[in-house]
Amino acid sequence: MTTRRQFVGVIAATGLLPLSDALATPDDAKAAIDKIVGSSFVKTGKVKLDIPPLVENGNLVAMKVSVDSPMTAIDFVKVIHIIAQGNPLPNIISFYLTNRSGRATIQSRIRLSESQRVVAIAQMSDGSFYQGFADTLVTLSACTEV
Amino acid sequence: MTTPQLQQVCLQWFKKLKQYLIVKILLSLLLAYIAILTSSVVQAQSKAKQSSYDLMSAENKALQDNLDMNPAAFWLLDGQALWTQPSGPKSLSCASCHGDAERSMKGVAASFPKIRSRRLTTLEEQIEICRTERQGLVRAGHESKVSLALSTYVASQSKGLPIHIDDSPAMRAQIDEGAKLFNKRIGQLNLSCAQCHDERAGLKLGGSVIPQAHPSGYPIYRLEWQSVGSLERRLRNCMIGVRSEPFPYDSDELKQLEAFLMWRAEGMILESPAVRP
Amino acid sequence: MANTSRTLVTMPREAKKGEVIDIKVIVQHDMESGFRRTEQGGLIPRDIIRSFTCTYGGSEIFRAELHPGTGANPMIVFSTIATESGTLEFKWVGDNDYSSVATSVLTVV
Repeated sequence: MTTRRQFVGVIAATGLLPLSDALATPDDAKAAIDKIVGSSFVKTGKVKLDIPPLVENGNLVAMKVSVDSPMTAIDFVKVIHIIAQGNPLPNIISFYLTNRSGRATIQSRIRLSESQRVVAIAQMSDGSFYQGFADTLVTLSACTEV
Repeated sequence: MTTPQLQQVCLQWFKKLKQYLIVKILLSLLLAYIAILTSSVVQAQSKAKQSSYDLMSAENKALQDNLDMNPAAFWLLDGQALWTQPSGPKSLSCASCHGDAERSMKGVAASFPKIRSRRLTTLEEQIEICRTERQGLVRAGHESKVSLALSTYVASQSKGLPIHIDDSPAMRAQIDEGAKLFNKRIGQLNLSCAQCHDERAGLKLGGSVIPQAHPSGYPIYRLEWQSVGSLERRLRNCMIGVRSEPFPYDSDELKQLEAFLMWRAEGMILESPAVRP
Repeated sequence: MANTSRTLVTMPREAKKGEVIDIKVIVQHDMESGFRRTEQGGLIPRDIIRSFTCTYGGSEIFRAELHPGTGANPMIVFSTIATESGTLEFKWVGDNDYSSVATSVLTVV
């Protein structure tokens, strides 16, 4: 079983080489998050990030992010940033909501180049930051073209 | 009874017991063998054809099922537009001859490949023939936007219908050639299609379940390609997967494999356009 | 010729005042990440949609910034409060002068 995993790992690595010259490190992700929040403290909570724990193909991964917020005229979510710790570029997509959004729930589809942690950072209307994350295992399809 | 007489009786008794036991054991073995045979036959018959749709995650199934999420919807819309667009020197559209696709193309994709003008013809090839010979256009080319848009649109008209291809003697000859190819070991990995997709379907290869490999949803939006593609493209991927030089597009071999696969998928419901990882 | 492509908008045509409605949008675009290579080894240049905006009765109610990590044929599902009858306009803008626009009319009862 270990040999098979190693084999798949080697194939996965060779499969990834054409895709990126340099994979981001968690440090790049941290730098991206620092750029967003500046010197503010990011609290953990309120943000729920749903990504399938096992992904059949990293090219199109369903993603849903929900923030616990009353979404009133004065208390609402302003932005939700999605940051990947293992992609070539950490910034994936950012959603800008308004006090007319009604719900702070967004769905989209993202690319994940390998198994990693994906982080969602939400900025509230009062300037505070909250974060949530999801860990996922990304596998490769069988019999690819390259 | 005297001792010798007793001995004789005992000996004869043991002989009979030995004979009885041998017969009993042989009979049991025979029954067991028959049981194994019949159970494997029953198993083979009851090993129902399974679409690889069943093996997908819930998210990917939802992708396929909802046309407002399925990326193949764009190819469908492109095909729908092309269907009624007059083109070429005679200003003909597909609709000029075939009218409403929902009516005229119903069941067509589920019946390809077939023998046309004594040549084994795939759906993609038939579309090219119509475009070049009837509309006077140049070939769209394999995996081109136009070819895939039209094949997606035509195939979707057979969605929900069972696969059934011709079984004329000429077709049978092609299917048999395809069967030979399916069972032939190829590539550096020296594997045949049958070894994975017949013998080991349902078992795992590196974490993924091996599908039976039925072409019940083509053309598919393959997440790996990030595009819609044909069965021929997928078969070439299979061959690259076992480190073999893939058969070229429009080769006899690929068409025969397609014929065999569609024969093997007889009765399965067409899902086109499907989504696959 | 304009660099544009097909879009699909799924949302209710009618809603009650104050109701929160879901809007699903999907656009046809390869979102070429800029990290893929050709068979010869050359880099395929980046060509993606950069932004998506939605206005409702002229005011922006939602915006998204897309990066190469966004999946091809991008789909976004977001929501808004049905306030008054009006037109929702959806706009996608990207590299190489890409631009697509779609509209949808909402009747609020």
